[in-house]
Parts: sequence; structure tokens; C-alpha cells
Amino acid sequence: MNPTSRRVFLRNGIVLGASVTSLSALLAACGGSDSSGALDVAATPELEGETIKVLVNQPNLGAWKVVAAEFEKETGAKVELSPIPYDKLTSQAIRDVQSGAGEFDVFQYWYVGLGDLVEGGALEDLTDYIEEHADEIKPDDYLASIYDPYTLMDGRRWGLPFDGDTFLLFYNRRIFDEFGVQPPQTWDEYAQVAKTITEGGKGDVYGAIVMGQQVPIILGCSYADRLVGFGGRFVDESGKPQLTSPEAIAAAEALFAVGPDALPTPLQTGFDQAIPAFLNGQGAMIEFWTDMSVMASNPEQSKIIDDWAAVKLPVGGSNTVHGTALNAGFGAGVSAISKRKEAAAALVKFQSSPAVQEKIIGEFGTGGDPIRKSTLQSAAFKKTFGQAAPDVAEGLEGQPLVWPNTAGAVDKLQTLVDELALGIQGQQSAQEALEKAQAAWERA
Amino acid sequence: MSAVVAPPRPSPSAPADAPAGARPRRRPGLPGLPPRPRRGGRVGRTPASLSWPLIAALLVFSAFPFAYLIGLALTESTLARPLGAFTGLDNLTEALSSTAFKGSLWRSTLFALTASAVQLVLGTALALLLAVRGRRLGWTGVVLLLPLVTPPVMVGVAWKLLLAPVGGALPSIAGSLGLGDPNPLGSPTGAMVTLIVIDTWQWTPFVTLLVYAALLGVPRDLLDAARIDGASSWQTVRHIVLPLIAGTLVAVALLRMIIAFKLFDIVYVVTSGGPGFATTLSSFDIYRTGLQQFQVGEAAAATIVFSLLVGVFVTVVSRLRRRVAGAAG
Repeated sequence: MNPTSRRVFLRNGIVLGASVTSLSALLAACGGSDSSGALDVAATPELEGETIKVLVNQPNLGAWKVVAAEFEKETGAKVELSPIPYDKLTSQAIRDVQSGAGEFDVFQYWYVGLGDLVEGGALEDLTDYIEEHADEIKPDDYLASIYDPYTLMDGRRWGLPFDGDTFLLFYNRRIFDEFGVQPPQTWDEYAQVAKTITEGGKGDVYGAIVMGQQVPIILGCSYADRLVGFGGRFVDESGKPQLTSPEAIAAAEALFAVGPDALPTPLQTGFDQAIPAFLNGQGAMIEFWTDMSVMASNPEQSKIIDDWAAVKLPVGGSNTVHGTALNAGFGAGVSAISKRKEAAAALVKFQSSPAVQEKIIGEFGTGGDPIRKSTLQSAAFKKTFGQAAPDVAEGLEGQPLVWPNTAGAVDKLQTLVDELALGIQGQQSAQEALEKAQAAWERA
Repeated sequence: MSAVVAPPRPSPSAPADAPAGARPRRRPGLPGLPPRPRRGGRVGRTPASLSWPLIAALLVFSAFPFAYLIGLALTESTLARPLGAFTGLDNLTEALSSTAFKGSLWRSTLFALTASAVQLVLGTALALLLAVRGRRLGWTGVVLLLPLVTPPVMVGVAWKLLLAPVGGALPSIAGSLGLGDPNPLGSPTGAMVTLIVIDTWQWTPFVTLLVYAALLGVPRDLLDAARIDGASSWQTVRHIVLPLIAGTLVAVALLRMIIAFKLFDIVYVVTSGGPGFATTLSSFDIYRTGLQQFQVGEAAAATIVFSLLVGVFVTVVSRLRRRVAGAAG
């Protein structure tokens, strides 16, 4: 056997050492999150020259630009915005923290993903910070229907609300006049109007645009609109699923029934099909976020500037109270591994302040919806939302349908929309779809 | 037609003057190089340490991710909390009881086998046509490369716009020709066929180029001999050309099948797995489970099952390739 010389031994040792070191570094990188220091709730951070990085929802970029401009003007700090699609917000934030990358200081989050973010340790606990700065934050001014679902988990607060987001039923007055129909007050009337227009439209105009793409924020919204209309809930007070209640089943039946009279086909219809179809006058009705009023009034986007109107979501069954659903809705929180938590918290507080919220609402195209009582009273809100303002205010001040937001909620909602999609496709009845979803939710 | 009999090839490891049937002696060294020195000689063996970087790279890039995958599959793992409590085969059971995943295995197999078969036939036919045309590809090569170099996301967006039921080019053209309002993405079968068509549009040129390269290696004198013997074009292709390039064809089919099994981007852009689960292929379902529903443990278990399925097909086709290669001598 060849004797091992000192040189060979050293060389082998160096190569082996380098390999082990590389592997260890990789394993460390793939390991858990880095843990930065705790947030000093009483500190007054020096913001001049500081750079704060924010992960934002792409459709809310306009609103964040308003926030960034105002914050930079007031503090001298720089705000860097990174827009991504809504459905990546939760996973991106968790991965940023889990990997230890710490790329962002502030996360905008969809409130449905709050439980997953908290479970993943992605957000800093802001409970004490909110108490310390209660004079500026004015927690009592938040709409009761929004504050808890958007920020509260396990008795602690993990962020501050950023964007409300409720639905109205928008319709095309010109098409309604042409077909001699009235804005529907019930889901039965809605189905009848859709049928009348689609049959008379002969493929040029459709009575309804039903967003049914198989993701929670699209098909889930269409179902939630009907669920609240029939007076149902996703879960009861104790968190038990209520998907097989008569109201929930009736809501699904109403959703399935309108398919043949909707823009073809609901399962293919997402934002990119629905919005242009309504703004081009190809569809007579669409349930959408309140910012459709801004888009419909924009001459660069819309051919129905003088033709659109909005009403509250219809009711169904024995329910006679018009409601709305918190179908999106976002908060903002501080990354648990931010290296500048105090500055990040200052930005979170700033964006949610009454003055900045009013500024966001007052700007066309920001997609912002009210989160504060004071905003609902402001001239900016009334001007931007125009004729829809009273309905929006009534919906938010009432008891809008809140989606589940505990850990695993996104998984549950995906299961629900999967079953609903199979129902829309005709593979199962509403009862069967919801029984399967109920069983899956109970298992989870 | 007379059979073309290839002369016996000399074995690379047997001396040219060795008697027929004699066992070749131990390989003395690479051709053209002096025999390898004996063990213990001064020049000696290649130091084993030279292979350590490669071993380290394999550990980092292959063994570690695989071990991590196994770890995720055997533990309670979400995106937020990976590698939690040991759960044994629970994730595997969960994955195998999922209607979406079970169906996706069947759909992935159907898609991969159909798409690669169609592309192999079309690609070979195109390559033969090109070979007849001449040895230079010219602009044909550019046109062939175009779908191949287009980013799949752009391919998906283009096809989605083309097929959009309202405002899409296809329904508009069909409507103006009085053919109704076709909406292939609206039906389960139509959506799956559309995926195969898109994949075929994108990947057939790949097959064509590889087969064309193989055709350039077919000895000219064999083709000339066949022509002199009165073989028709089809007979020449059937009995001479295809057997000679069979190894390449199987290798291309194997490559295409593996790539087709992994299809994700076109599904994501064009159908999002719908309508219902009609086009939810396994890679898309695993993505949904892991990164949209955050059930990373279940996604890891599903990945292992899916890898085994692909492995079965790869093994079968690989064996076929070896048999074909063996038959070709």
C-alpha cells in the first residue's frame, strides 16, 4: 500500500475540511431563522437616512407609494417597496424569516394568512408597542369589524390594519335599461337577470361575470358573497366549521346555478378576464372590491364611465339583511428578524394613521379601502367612493363575513374552493362538495 | 431488398490478431497511451483526494436535499414549521388519500406518454423531411429554434390569449367562419389536449434537431446501396434509417418523457390545473400543496411517490434503450 506522506495528509485534510465547512455552511443556511433583538417599544428611532424594505401586495403598490412618499417627506428615511402577487405574500414572508435572509423589515400580509405567519415566527409581537403608542395609533378609531381579524391572534396583536376590502355588486345601467331589468336585491333575482341578459345578448353580452378561478381569493370571494347573502358563516364562535349549514349549501347552489348564464366559463374567469369584460361592457354584473368604482371611472381603462352603478350584495333564503364579506383585507407587520425593528414599527404605525389612510383613500387608483371610523366620515372617502360610499360604510360598520385566519386557514380555503370547483364543473352537488370540505376542515 | 449486413466490428479490448472466440485479455490501458504502471510504482495511483470535491458537491446538491426531503416527509412539516414531530408514514398516507394527487399521477403519466410519443413521431418526420432537403438548416433552423428558446411563461400567456373564450383569436376566427364558439380550455378533455398541443408546439423542434443530427450520421453508402437495390423511400427509412437511429430515438423519447413528467409552467399559466382537477399534473399539485397550502410534509411525501413513478418509466425506457443499442451492435 502506498504510504501516506505528510504532504498528502495535509492536502487531503484541507480538501476534506473545506468540503465539511461548505456543507456545514449550507446546512446552517437551510436551518432556522436568525433572531434579532426584541423591539424596543419606547425607543424613538433615528429615521433620517434609514432604509426600510417593505414586501407589498402588487395591487396595493399605488397605496404604498403614497405611504412611502409621505414617510420619506416627514422623516428623511427611504422606503423600498417590493411588490409581489397577493398569493405569494404569506409564503414569501415565512421563507424570508425561516431562511434567515431578513430581506424585508415590514411585511404587508393578507389577514387570512395571519395565523400561518404567527406560527412561522415571521411577525414581531406589536401588542406592547400599540399600547405604548396608543395616542398616535388610536386603536378605538379602527373599525371593530376589521381590527381584530386583521391583527389579533392568540390574544396578541401582530400588526396594524392597512387596507379594508369589501365587495359590492356592480352593474351596467345601459345594459340593464336595454333589457328592461332592475338591480337585483336577492340572489334569485340576480340569477333571473343574468339569464335574461345572457339569452338576449346572443354571445355579445353576458348577464353575469362570475369569478371562479380555483384559488381562495377568486372563487372563495364569489362563494363568500353568497354565503353572507344567505346569512351563513364559515365557522361559528368556537371555530367549528359551518359548511354544511342550510345557508352554506344554498349559497353554493346559487353559485353553481348561475354558471350557464355567466361569461364563459366561471372556472376560467380570474381578474384578468373579469375586469376587462366588465369595463368593456361585455358583462352586465360583477361582484367586486369597491375599487372597481375607480377603475370604471377611469377613461383610460373603461368604456362604461357613465354607465356603471353599484348596489349592496343581494340576500338569499330567509335572510333579509344585506351584508358584505371581508374578501381580502391586509395588515402590515414588522419582520421578526428585521435589523431595524423600531424604524419598521414606525412605518407600520405611520401607514395606519388616520391622516395617511385618508390620503390613500383620497388618491384615485390606490385601491385603498377604509379601515378607520374617521375615514368613513372624511370628505376624501365620500368623494372617491361617490355613490358607493353609503353602501361601503354600512357594510363595514355592520358585521361583515370574516374568513378564517388561524394557522392552516389558507389550506382549508383551498380545500373548499377545490370542492366548489368540482361542483361548478358538474361533478358533484353543492351538498356533496360542502360535506367533503366540512370533513376536511374538521380533520385539519 | 437485400439485407444490409454490417462487417463484424473488432472488439476494442481484444487484440486484432487474437483468435476468434478468445477471451480478451485484461485491458492494458487507453488506446494510444502506454500501459498503466503497476501498483506501487513511482507514478502510482491517482490521488483519491481529487474526487473529494466531487463527492462534496454530490453531498451538497444531491444527498443533502434528498435527505432533507425524506426528513420533511417523515415529520410534521409546514412552511412555517418544517421538521416538527416525527409522524412516520402519515404524510405519505395523506398524500395517497388525496383525490387531487392520486388523479395527478394518472394525468401526469397520460400527459407525458402521449406528448412524448406525439412529439417523437412528428419530430422524426420533420427531421426526415429536413434531411431530404439537404444538410444545411439555414432559416429553417431559426424557425425551429424559436418555440424552443421562447420562455415557457410567454408561450403560456400567448396560448392563453389565443384561446380566451371571450376576445381570444381562436373563438373570433371560428365565429367569423361560422364554426361556433370553441372553448377548449372550458372542458376537461379539451384542456388536457390543449396542454399536449402547446407542449408539442414547444418541444417538437427539440426532437427534430436531435433526430436530424442522428440522421447526419447515417452512412451515405448504405442509402446509396439501398437505392441501387431498388428500395423505395419508405423501405429505406423503415429498414435502414430507423434501425440505425433507434438508439437516438429511444434516448430522445426518454429525455422528452422526463421533461414532460415535470411540466409545471404551462399548467400554471394556462389552466391553473383546471377546470376542476382536469389538468392538475403532479408537479403542479405538489407546488399547490407545499407553497400555496403550506403542507410541506405532504408535498415532500408526494414528491417521493412521484419520483418513484417517474423512476419506473425511466427504468423501463432505459432498458429498452440498452436493448436497442445492443441490437444495433
